[in-house]
Amino acid sequence: MPLAGVRLAPTKRTIFWLLTAALLVAACTVAPDTGGATGGGHSDPNPPGFFPTDPATAQGGLIAGLYPIVFFIAVAVFVLVEGLLLLIVFRFRRRPGDDTLPEQTHGSNLLEVIWTAIPAAIVTGLFVLTMGTLSEVEALEDSPAVEIDVTGFQWQWTFQYPNEDLSLTGLGREGPVMGIPINETVRLRLHAQDVIHSFYVPQFLYKKDVVPGRVNEFDVLVQEPGTYVGQCAEFCGLAHADMYFTVQAMERPDYEAWVTEQQQGSGEATPPPGAAALTLTSVDINTFDPETLSAPADAPIVFDFRNVDPAAPHNVAIVGANEDGSDWIGLPLAQAGQNATYTAPALEAGTYEFYCSVHPATMRGTLTVGTR
Amino acid sequence: MTAHTDVVRVPHQQEDPHEATGHAEQGMNTALLGMLLFIGSEVMFFAGLFAAYFNARAAAPEWPPQGIDFIVPSLIPVVATLILILSSATMQWAVWRIRKGDRTGMNRAIAITLLLGVVFLGMQAYDYYELLTHHGFGINSGIYGTLFYTLTGFHGAHVFGGVVGISIILLRGVAGQFSARHHIAVEAVSAYWHFVDVVWIALFVTLYLLH
Amino acid sequence: MATTTLAPRAGTYRRSMVYEWLTTTDHKKIGALYIATSFLFFLLGGVYALFIRAELAVPGLQFLDPETYNQLFTIHGTTMIFLFVMPMTTGLANYIVPLQIGAADMAFPRINALSYWMIPLGGLLLFSGYALGGAANAGWTGYAPLSAREGIGIDLWIASLVLLGTSSILGAINFLATIFKMRAPGLTLMRMPLFVWNTLVTSVLLLFAVPVLTAGLMMLFIDRNYGGGFFDPALGGNPILWQHIFWFFGHPEVYILILPAFGVVSEVLPVFSRKPLFGYKAFVFATASIGALGFSVWAHHMFTTGAVYLPFFSFFTFLIAVPTGIKIFNWLATMWGGKLRLSTPMLFAMGFIALFLIGGLDGAFLAVVPFDFHVQDTYWVVSHLHYVLVAGSVFGIFAALYYWFPKMTGGLLDERLGKIHWVLLFIGTNLAFFPQHLLGLDGMIRRIIDYAPNAGWMELNLLSTIGAFMIGVSTLPFMWNVFITLRGPRDAGDDPWDANTLEWATTSPPPPYNFEALPPIRSERPLFDLKHGAVEDRAASTPAARGETHGETRADAPEEVLGEPIEGHDDDGGTPGATPQVSEHAPDATPRDERPERSEARDDPRRPEDRP
Repeated sequence: MPLAGVRLAPTKRTIFWLLTAALLVAACTVAPDTGGATGGGHSDPNPPGFFPTDPATAQGGLIAGLYPIVFFIAVAVFVLVEGLLLLIVFRFRRRPGDDTLPEQTHGSNLLEVIWTAIPAAIVTGLFVLTMGTLSEVEALEDSPAVEIDVTGFQWQWTFQYPNEDLSLTGLGREGPVMGIPINETVRLRLHAQDVIHSFYVPQFLYKKDVVPGRVNEFDVLVQEPGTYVGQCAEFCGLAHADMYFTVQAMERPDYEAWVTEQQQGSGEATPPPGAAALTLTSVDINTFDPETLSAPADAPIVFDFRNVDPAAPHNVAIVGANEDGSDWIGLPLAQAGQNATYTAPALEAGTYEFYCSVHPATMRGTLTVGTR
Repeated sequence: MTAHTDVVRVPHQQEDPHEATGHAEQGMNTALLGMLLFIGSEVMFFAGLFAAYFNARAAAPEWPPQGIDFIVPSLIPVVATLILILSSATMQWAVWRIRKGDRTGMNRAIAITLLLGVVFLGMQAYDYYELLTHHGFGINSGIYGTLFYTLTGFHGAHVFGGVVGISIILLRGVAGQFSARHHIAVEAVSAYWHFVDVVWIALFVTLYLLH
Repeated sequence: MATTTLAPRAGTYRRSMVYEWLTTTDHKKIGALYIATSFLFFLLGGVYALFIRAELAVPGLQFLDPETYNQLFTIHGTTMIFLFVMPMTTGLANYIVPLQIGAADMAFPRINALSYWMIPLGGLLLFSGYALGGAANAGWTGYAPLSAREGIGIDLWIASLVLLGTSSILGAINFLATIFKMRAPGLTLMRMPLFVWNTLVTSVLLLFAVPVLTAGLMMLFIDRNYGGGFFDPALGGNPILWQHIFWFFGHPEVYILILPAFGVVSEVLPVFSRKPLFGYKAFVFATASIGALGFSVWAHHMFTTGAVYLPFFSFFTFLIAVPTGIKIFNWLATMWGGKLRLSTPMLFAMGFIALFLIGGLDGAFLAVVPFDFHVQDTYWVVSHLHYVLVAGSVFGIFAALYYWFPKMTGGLLDERLGKIHWVLLFIGTNLAFFPQHLLGLDGMIRRIIDYAPNAGWMELNLLSTIGAFMIGVSTLPFMWNVFITLRGPRDAGDDPWDANTLEWATTSPPPPYNFEALPPIRSERPLFDLKHGAVEDRAASTPAARGETHGETRADAPEEVLGEPIEGHDDDGGTPGATPQVSEHAPDATPRDERPERSEARDDPRRPEDRP
């Protein structure tokens, strides 16, 4: 009977040691005690490592505390099994010319008991630790300091502060900015409009899904002031990769100043005198009616906005309409079947693109601002 | 290894009249085993549909939802249920007959089963018609409508499949193909038909009685 | 005495090869069709992966747009699972299981053929989306409500999966009927090769899990096309219901993908260690436990929904690590004390153990619910699933292909090319997927076409891309190897590996009826026993008594030969079997006339009641 194979032992040995060395080198270069990265528009102080990104919340700290226990058990098992494997390869390789049979052992009940009982004990212990950490992480305070209603929809976030009469939204790598005070419990309630999304801030070591028909809620207690990038973490369609938001945690006085600043920016009162009135209807996620508008120059434009789409929220935004050149965005969004009134700033003569900031790729139109 | 290897012989076995074939084999007939395994998979299919039903029911504030008060054990569903149960009895009677070699009796029983099956389908169709026209209740009438038509619809499709199978064994039986020792297709179709009946009973209890 | 030969009648003997292959019901040809077709889909799915990784190598949009990218990862996942791994393992089982149990074919050969032909048809349906307005783009998991709203590609995806699922269900019925009803005499359940056991449990999982997927797909189709409300809260439905139904299928599905690979490893290790499998009963128990427990953990894919009872699913997820660990330790013990031959099949089997371990460990992390809150939907999960599927299933599949290639074709694949393949795949797999652990820990989410340039993720993504291309390159020596081996002499012989199980007791490839004759079967290594004299060539085969079946332990099976117990696994105490008796043909064997008396009745083939 031909025995297969060219023996490649020295090369194989070299490869195994090279690989082990490579893994060790990789482990050292990505030093285990650094984690922490931010996405979005902020520079990253720490490269990714074998440990999770540094947590910014009390809840995240609990998770980061449990991780090393699991990690070192896993490393121990890894070293044990891989070590045995390497040992076996070197010690029990068939010597050339040796055609005798080794001892034909069939099993050992004792060993079976040992390597069943010990792993069972380990996983039971891990389970108990897991449940302990879990209940702390998921605990809800009786009276949180700040409450925020988070709404996720394709492909944007809206934050509403019911007690502060604030409504924020935004697009781009930063997305809307959620200001919160540090060292105080913030309650987040998650609402979905269309498909499932997920509210994830890597530096909180936490995410929770945003599910239509269901309101998920959780508490965070941020301990470090800073800017934390968040992203939708449940695949939600075309622009899932662009659904960012930012959480800005600051000292209480700064937070209150921030709230005041936001309140002045949003929410329109009565339309200014001399404003021009336009009616605009959003029909569905692809269609404005009409798609061309005209308005006089140098007068604020009041939109009588009708959202007749039964399935999605819409609004109107105008490219470059703000004084600083940024897009003017009408807020808050008009929910499905609802109307809204928006006042856009006075514009110079010219041609402007308008769009729905919820569906910027598909809902667009042209606004011609003429000379009086 | 020398050229001649001993072959282990298959033992000769006394015939068991309860076996549907006369072959010298042990245990259940392979084709019947196949049918039972298939029925197992179909049970899991309906399990998925029932899971959807109970999931919706558990989460709903009111069940059946407001305004849907006409899914009740009225004449048509009750009679249809009794017809299907009766058809299982006649199907089983057919099996007993052919096990005893009585092909004529089997054919008669199968024909009655077929008739009852077709009547059941007709009653289901009429029930659908009533619901659609008198109550405007369709598969798109909210989760309850979706569940009702999906569950009963897939069941009806399975009944139809059973009717096809029964027709085939009726044709074969009339052509003289079955005997006491060779009638595995009858056993298989019968098992399938009982499965269809059991699913209906579960459906009827769930949809019509469990409120 | 004159002998007659049957001369083929002119015009009726030759059939076209194409017709032969299109209409075959021979399990070996069907197995070969499955294997070839699924390998093509492996290459196709792999190309998709290369596109994905090329886009992700550096930040910024390179050459793809979001819609195309979403279709890419959806089709990649669906193809690799339903058009590669599942048909490949089905094909291997199709070819090998009847041989390993000493049967002439599968229980239902025509249904076997039907099951095969549904695969290319299902593939066609899946890919037809490109011609009809866009392929499926909601991920291979197709979560509602997103999948309820996307384009026609989803309907085609649904139709494809219903067809492919039905193919699997029919295959499962076939394998179960074959294994339960068609084993050769003496081949009790506890003497079946582990590959057959794993096929059995896989088939049970398929039988009970796939129909639930079918139900869910029907519900999605109704929501999409008939105004159904299963997953639409506005109509009283529940998006989470989709996840429950999908993952009730989806979790057993991952065991369906890995168990056949476990089976292959359990075949290869004993042969190339020249020792029996250590802890056969433990393997059977562990396999069955994994199968059963596999149905109890599905919602660990749903921890972040806020809608599942976390303690239950966390507990069972931890628990399922135990039988997997049992397997790994028993595999190590199989090799321990052996005389290892490091041929290519053995390298792939050992590589499997080395790397699947990583996938198993990082999966155990996911059972830690609060940690899952951090890494769910990140590259940690992508890393985990690719370790268990590539380092796991793919390594197991290649071990099987190298191991059984000589049996199927008569040609032995070249060892040198095999080792090059192995090195490239081993390094490529680790390079591609290990860095993804770190990305996930750092918060890089999955299913995104692009990532922030200043997140510090570029280097690891680049490494991962290089690894992916290395995996791609590794298929080249394999394909070249197959090509030159098929063109070369088919002289591997019946038993090139000096193996243990029945498939090696016939020619390579086997004749259409599989076996001229079977050796006596008294343990789970019938060929080994025959070669090493534990059974005699002309073993006394007492006929079964009345009422005995093929499928039960034979009470009359000889427990000893020549005064020595036959090695086997009937000893519940786990006492190792006796060292095999030296065959009487060995040069130093005890001469026949000095052996103890044998009862003549042993050699009498007549039934006891027929003897004088």
